[in-house]
Amino acid sequence: MKERLIALITEILQVPEGTVTEKTLMEDLEAWDSVAQVMIIGEMETRLGISVPLEEAMEMTGVADFLARL
Amino acid sequence: MNKRIAVLSNVNMSYVIRLLKKEYQVWDAEGYGNELGTLMNGQSSYHAFAPEITFLIMDLMEVLGHKTDLPESWRREAGEIREESGGADAGKREAHAREDAPGGTSPDRDSLCVGLPVLRDWFTRMDSCILPGRLYYLSDAWLWGPEIGALPETSLAQRLEEQWLQGLAWLEQRHENVRIFPYRQIIGKLGEENSFSLKTWYLGKILHTGEAQKRLAEEIGRLVEKEAGVPKKVLLVDLDNTLWGGLAGERDHTPLELSEDRQGLAYKNAQRVLRLMTQAGVVLGIVSKNNEEDALTVIREHPHMILREEDFAIRRINWRPKHENIREIADSLNLGLDSMVFWDDSPAERELVRQMLPQVEVPDFPESPEELAPALTRLYKKYFQRPRLTAEDREKTRQYAQNEQRNRLEEQAADFGQYLRQLRIRAEAVSPPAHMERLVQLVNKTNQFNLTTLRFSLEEMQRIVANASQKVYLYRVEDCFGDYGIVSAVIVNLTGDAPLIEEWVMSCRVMGKQVEDALLARIETDLLAAGYERLRGRYVPTAKNKPVEQLYDRLGYEMVSRKSDGEKEYCIRLEERPARADHVTWMEPA
Repeated sequence: MKERLIALITEILQVPEGTVTEKTLMEDLEAWDSVAQVMIIGEMETRLGISVPLEEAMEMTGVADFLARL
Repeated sequence: MNKRIAVLSNVNMSYVIRLLKKEYQVWDAEGYGNELGTLMNGQSSYHAFAPEITFLIMDLMEVLGHKTDLPESWRREAGEIREESGGADAGKREAHAREDAPGGTSPDRDSLCVGLPVLRDWFTRMDSCILPGRLYYLSDAWLWGPEIGALPETSLAQRLEEQWLQGLAWLEQRHENVRIFPYRQIIGKLGEENSFSLKTWYLGKILHTGEAQKRLAEEIGRLVEKEAGVPKKVLLVDLDNTLWGGLAGERDHTPLELSEDRQGLAYKNAQRVLRLMTQAGVVLGIVSKNNEEDALTVIREHPHMILREEDFAIRRINWRPKHENIREIADSLNLGLDSMVFWDDSPAERELVRQMLPQVEVPDFPESPEELAPALTRLYKKYFQRPRLTAEDREKTRQYAQNEQRNRLEEQAADFGQYLRQLRIRAEAVSPPAHMERLVQLVNKTNQFNLTTLRFSLEEMQRIVANASQKVYLYRVEDCFGDYGIVSAVIVNLTGDAPLIEEWVMSCRVMGKQVEDALLARIETDLLAAGYERLRGRYVPTAKNKPVEQLYDRLGYEMVSRKSDGEKEYCIRLEERPARADHVTWMEPA
């Protein structure tokens, strides 16, 4: 699951494989803006079946926060 | 690909734009939801960017502002509505109308029959934003929203969507450069649940799921490529392991795979796709290494062939290198190599054609038979499908529909004679000099009902029409279902001891209705009145004109000579000609 999540984030950010790691933070990557953030949350729900509540969505700051949801 | 494009929407399309940016120059939309403002503001960065193609992907629910309850007045006749809302709307329309907006084309500005004021206003404003020389793709509609399941009537969504489509059709007719983006098809294929996400909608006004956005971007890319590319006209197909499984030349030992199940059905379904393509105007040809006779036997006689001889406009079945055959076909059809697509299962043949004729498009061939029909469908969409039906296509479609009605009448009629009478066929002699282009086209393009298959250039035809020793007859025909247009031409040479029908062509549109009997009767009467006692006819066989091989025999002409190659000469004494069919009424020129 961890790998799938990182692959999903990599795909949405359109960055080379390996760019996104467990430690990557939103602020580390230019591509990870608010649109990408919303897409990641949406795709997590659609593809991985993991729902991030609306009120917590904007508190997610990096890969670690997402991994904590798994 | 250096096309500049813009994607405008009333929902957040940033991710679609991001996907497209990998390959195209895409205008950086400043947010979303101000699509008309962006288009109208001549100072906007959109206009500075000057995109060649603008895609408007509109969410209908947002355009409606979630007001799905129809005003009571709108539920009545559309005509009443137009009167009621005419005053205020007309003023708005005036205000938004640009002076230089292309006008004069039909339908006019006032013919927009969208009753719902909010949509009426949207389309009227959109209408004034269209600039000539640019292309616009507007999405059709799929009404969706959080409340969609709770709409009081299920038909309501459909009626609202229809309103949108009506507006779209109106714009499309008014502007040659407006096309429809198949949004509905994309959502329909993916399904609502997989297309829309409330989570992303609430978080960032992103209405569509990642997959839906990916498909929207793919469709936009496909249309951009299509607009940029040379439109293809001809699909050249191989036979063995392409139209059927196995080898035509060895079918005595190993039966072909072409049937109602397994791989056989996969090939049969691939042929079904090809057949539909020919109906949509794709010219189909064969380029195959085979003994022609083996191949033709299969095409003519195999019970599961969907495509038959007449579906192929041209064929080169021989053992010569394929690129030579393709070059020859291009010459023969008078088309560029860049309008051809080559479809062959053999990687070696594909590679050779790619090497020798780089202008020819050579798509990859699927690994397994079940992939054939989907691959051909993609091929059709990629190379051939036109984003917008031309007037000619529409005309074709209309004619097909009329034919369908005729066929039904034929089924219902007690006998063939009654059917012909019920068609109420009317014919009219038209002036050849006034219809030169059609005359030349008719003579040069008709293959089946063509007695001698002579071909003439426009100049040659002009000389014939002007020549006193040749007489050209040209006819227009209609029936109770519609107009066939100018469908038959006859060239009679008056020199020699008796007039000779040098050439007689008739469009296949009117074949099988004994119209030719009436046309010939008319010519015979005309020549008899001019003092001629006999009339001669000639049949020269070709690969295509078998249907008229016995025409003169059927019409009571006597065969006077027959050559070994099948060419026949006929003669009739005009006084002794048999009574001709009388189901055609003649319209006399006013």
